[in-house]
Amino acid sequence: MTRDELQTLLDSHGADPAQWPAALRVAALGLIANDPQARADHEAARELDAALARFAQPDTADETAAARVLTRLAGPLPRQDRAFWRRWPAVLLDWQFAPAWPRLAALACCAVVGFGIGLAGLDRPFDRAGLTASNPDIASIVFEPEAITGARP
Amino acid sequence: MDESDEALMARIARGDERAFRLLARRHLPAMAGLARRILGNAADGEDVAQEAMLRVWTHAPRWQPLAAFRTWLTRVVVNLCLDRKRRTQWVDLEAAGELVDPAPGATERAEGDERDRMLAAAVETLPARQRSAIVLTYSEGMSNAQVAEVLDTSVSAVETLLVRGKQNLRRALAGVIDEDE
Repeated sequence: MTRDELQTLLDSHGADPAQWPAALRVAALGLIANDPQARADHEAARELDAALARFAQPDTADETAAARVLTRLAGPLPRQDRAFWRRWPAVLLDWQFAPAWPRLAALACCAVVGFGIGLAGLDRPFDRAGLTASNPDIASIVFEPEAITGARP
Repeated sequence: MDESDEALMARIARGDERAFRLLARRHLPAMAGLARRILGNAADGEDVAQEAMLRVWTHAPRWQPLAAFRTWLTRVVVNLCLDRKRRTQWVDLEAAGELVDPAPGATERAEGDERDRMLAAAVETLPARQRSAIVLTYSEGMSNAQVAEVLDTSVSAVETLLVRGKQNLRRALAGVIDEDE
């Protein structure tokens, strides 16, 4: 094992030999035992590990932050993300069947508009257009010769 | 009553708010700390922790216990942090010595140790994925395989992140180390 390989091992697995892959451990420990520079690299890696462990240790500020978040979560929670086939019974149960004035007003408006259209005759042109389009089709069906015998009605 | 994470998630899936708050109380401090270290900002870390817990609540009915709950939650937090970091601009690594860790309590703790303060500042300048790999390794005590699962990458990619991250840290700390020696 070279010093560079040892440094890569120290960086990727830390300075603790127990965390090193078994296949590399003997070679790495041998290099550390025999090479002063490798020993210094190992010691530096141990110091960096210790400093990173201190950096990562729990902080009382995190407990305080967690308490603040818990307080905010004490309010109403958002609707859960359920699949539709499991959600629709709840949707029906939540439905407001009791009459309410906006719904009644909307229904009354629809009724008034419908009566208005009927009384003004706005629907008739559409009916006539439908009849003229369908007349030739009806005639062709009625007066066409019979398919097998060729007899006309 | 079984109050394991997975059992609580099953209750949360049925809309049990008490189970949700119990689970949140159990994991929030660690998740707030993890987010703070990755983002380098306590307020943002708190926001991410809250958003992650709300996702636990909303996604609980669809959650499948394919991995340990803690691993899944850690992945949610890390992804939220990485998303947030993508919207911010990188700070030059050479400026590491002039930065101060804004986390409450961290500065006070590091006052007596110049090297720790420099290290905290240097970690803050690392690219987000290198920082995430280092924080997960040292804060959560995860193995390289577990870090790979959280970051949704391979073990060799995690090893590369750790190697590059520590190289950058050594470069940033070189002045301090020389002074110590």
